[in-house]
Amino acid sequence: MGEVVIQVENLSKVYQLGTIGTGSLKQDLSRWWTTSVLKKEDSFYHPTSSEETEASDGRQKAFWALRELSFEIRQGEVWGIIGNNGAGKSTLLKIISRIVKPTKGVVRGKGKISSLLEVGTGFNQELTGRENIFLSGYILGMSKPEIKAKFDEIVDFSGIEKFLDTPVKRYSSGMYVRLAFAVAAHLEPDILIIDEVLAVGDAEFQKKCLGKVRDVSKSEGRTILFVSHSMQAVASLCDHGLWLQKGKLMETGKASTVINNYIKGVKKFQLHHSWNNLVEAPGNDLIRFKSIRLVPQYSSAEAPLDIRTPLTVKFQFWNLVDGQELSVGLHLFSYGGECIFDVPSPSLPCQKGLVEGECTIPGDFLNDGSYYISLIVVKDTSVNLFYYEECLSFEVEDYRGDIKWFGKWMGAVRPSFPFRIAQQELVIEQ
Amino acid sequence: MLQNKVGNEQWEWEITARTHYWGIVFKELWHYRHLSYSLIRKDFLLNYQQTVLGPFWLLFQPLLTLATYLLVFNKLIGVSTGQLPPVLFYMSGIVLWNFFNDTFLSTSFIFKENAQLFSKVYFPRLIIPFSQMGTQILRFGIQFCMLLAMTGFYVFYKGYSFPTTYLIFTLPFTILLVGLTGLALGIAFSVITAKYRDIINLVSFGVRLLMFLTPVLYPVNFVPSNIRWIVQFNPLTSYFELFRLSLLGEGVVSGPHLAYSIGVTLVLLGLSVVVFNKQGDKLIDVV
Repeated sequence: MGEVVIQVENLSKVYQLGTIGTGSLKQDLSRWWTTSVLKKEDSFYHPTSSEETEASDGRQKAFWALRELSFEIRQGEVWGIIGNNGAGKSTLLKIISRIVKPTKGVVRGKGKISSLLEVGTGFNQELTGRENIFLSGYILGMSKPEIKAKFDEIVDFSGIEKFLDTPVKRYSSGMYVRLAFAVAAHLEPDILIIDEVLAVGDAEFQKKCLGKVRDVSKSEGRTILFVSHSMQAVASLCDHGLWLQKGKLMETGKASTVINNYIKGVKKFQLHHSWNNLVEAPGNDLIRFKSIRLVPQYSSAEAPLDIRTPLTVKFQFWNLVDGQELSVGLHLFSYGGECIFDVPSPSLPCQKGLVEGECTIPGDFLNDGSYYISLIVVKDTSVNLFYYEECLSFEVEDYRGDIKWFGKWMGAVRPSFPFRIAQQELVIEQ
Repeated sequence: MLQNKVGNEQWEWEITARTHYWGIVFKELWHYRHLSYSLIRKDFLLNYQQTVLGPFWLLFQPLLTLATYLLVFNKLIGVSTGQLPPVLFYMSGIVLWNFFNDTFLSTSFIFKENAQLFSKVYFPRLIIPFSQMGTQILRFGIQFCMLLAMTGFYVFYKGYSFPTTYLIFTLPFTILLVGLTGLALGIAFSVITAKYRDIINLVSFGVRLLMFLTPVLYPVNFVPSNIRWIVQFNPLTSYFELFRLSLLGEGVVSGPHLAYSIGVTLVLLGLSVVVFNKQGDKLIDVV
C-alpha cells in the first residue's frame, strides 16, 4: 500500500440557489459581518437540515452539493467515482482540482494535480493545432521543455500531423477531440483527475484513450480519480470505487462491489407501474400513461429472467385529444446509458380514450446486464407528444448452457444467429 | 474554519474554505510564465487575423483620433496646447490614454469572459490580467514608436527643439505606473462586474468621463487654479504631465502630486490583487 496522497475530511459544499440580484450586496455585507467580524458560523451551514434549506426570508435556498465527505486515497490507486446526475461527483472533482472552494472541510494532499474536466480546455478556435498544443499544455500546467519533449508523441497520438498548421476551427470535431485528448494524455502529474471526457470521440479513439489511461496508472504508479457514467469504463479501469448519492458518501471500496451495490441500490428494478386516475398518472395534456408492465415469458415456474427469456412490454395510456395518428417508440438502454435499440410501432388513428399496446423482445437476443426502457408517444410519426423516460428497468441474468467459458460476454446484445462450422479435410497437405 | 494544524507538515497542499489574502504564490506565477507569453502572443495575433489592415490598425486608430481632436478641440473650440505643436500634444495624450484605457477595459471583465475556462481548470487567475497588460504594453510600444517618429519629424524638419533632460529616464516608470493604474482598476472591476452585472455599464461610461478629468486634451496649466484640484485628484494627471514633460519638455508636475499618484496606484494595486485573490474562488460559483 502506498502512502496517502489525498485526504478528504468532512468536506461539504453548499450552493446558493435562486437569482442573485437585488439585495445581494446587502446580503453579502451582512454575511461578511457575521462570518468575518463576529466570527460566527456561516448561516448557510446547518449540518442537520434537509437537502434544500430555505432561508428565513424564503427567498434564498441552499443546495448541498456535498455533505460531510471523508475518505483517503493512496498513491497509485485508480478511483472511479459513480453516482446519479447531481450526486456531487463533478463538484468533488472541482474542489480537489482547486477550481471551487469547499464550504467546509479540508482536502490535503501531496504532489502535482492535473485535471481534465472537459476536452480542449484552453483551446482557441483561431489558433493552429501547433499553437494550441502549447497553449493548452501551459494552461493544464505543463512547462515549455515538457511540451517540447512530448510534442512529437502528442502529434503522433492524435494523428493530425498534416493539419498541424491549420487553425483548429477548420478541424472536424473528431480531429479536435483527438488533438485535445492527446495533449491531456501526455500530462505528467502525480494525480490525474478525469471527468467524463471519454464520453466524446469515436469508439476507436475512446478505446485508445482508455488504454492510455490504464497504461499510465499501471506502469507509472499514478493516482487517478475518474468520473464516468459508463460503469463499464469504471469497472475496467478502476480498482477502487466511490459512490456518491445526493452529496453523501454511500460507499467506498473495491470498484466491482461498489458498482454492484450502486446498481442494486439506485437502479431499483421496476417491472410494473399502474395508475388509477388521470391526475397522478405521468404524462401531459395530450397523453397520460395508465399502466406499464414488463412480462417475462418464463419457460418454467422457477426459471430466472435470463438471456433466453422473451420479454413483453405491455402498456396502456389515455389519449386526451381526438383524431390523432399515434405511434409508440420503445427505446432500450443499457445501464451505462447507451441506447441499444429504438423500435417504432405502426401508427394508428386514435380517438379520445384508452390505447394499449405491446412489444416483445425475443429471447436469445439481449446480453446479460441491466437495462432500462423509455417509451415515446409520437403524433404523425414526427411530433413528440410525451417521452416517458426510464419507465421500466430490469436485469437479464447470464446463461451459458454447455459453454465452458465464464468470461464477460462482449457486446450489448447476444443474438443467436445461424452459425455453422464444419471440418472439410482431415489433413493439411503442405 | 476546520484547520487542523496537527501533523500538517507532511502535506504539500491543503484546500479549505478559507482563502488567505496573500494567497498568491509567486513561485506558482513563475511556473506559469510560459502561459503568460503564450496568451500575450495569442491576443496580439488574434486581433489582427483575418483583417484588411492587420496591425496597421494600431497606427490608424490614434491617427484618426488625432485628426478629430485637432479639428474639434484645436480649430473649433480653440483649447490651448501651450508652447507645444498641437499634433504632438494630442498625440502624446492619445497614446498614453489608449494604453490606460485598453489596459483597464481588457482586464475589467476577466471573470465574466473567462468563466468557462476558470470553471474547468486551475491556474493562478492573476496570469490572465498580467498577460492582458503584457499585450497592451506591446500595443503601446508600437504606438509610442509612432509618437517618437512624429517628434523626430518636428525636430528635424520643423526646427522645433525639445529641451530633453535627465527626466527622459523617468519615461519607462511613468508608462509602467499608468499601466499599473489601469491594471489595478481593471482587476478590481473584474471582481465587481462578475458579481454585480449592472456595473458593466458604469465601466465603459466611467472611463470615458475619466478622460475628461485627465490632461489628455488640455494641459493642466489651462485649468483655472480654483478648480485645478479636481483634475489633480485624479492620480493619472501627474503621470500625463510628467510624460509630456520628460518627452516634450512641457508639463506641470510637483513632487507631492507625483508622490500622491504613486501612492494611490500602489495602494490600489495591492488592494485589488488582495480582493481578486480573496474573491476569485468564490466568484466561480457565481458567474
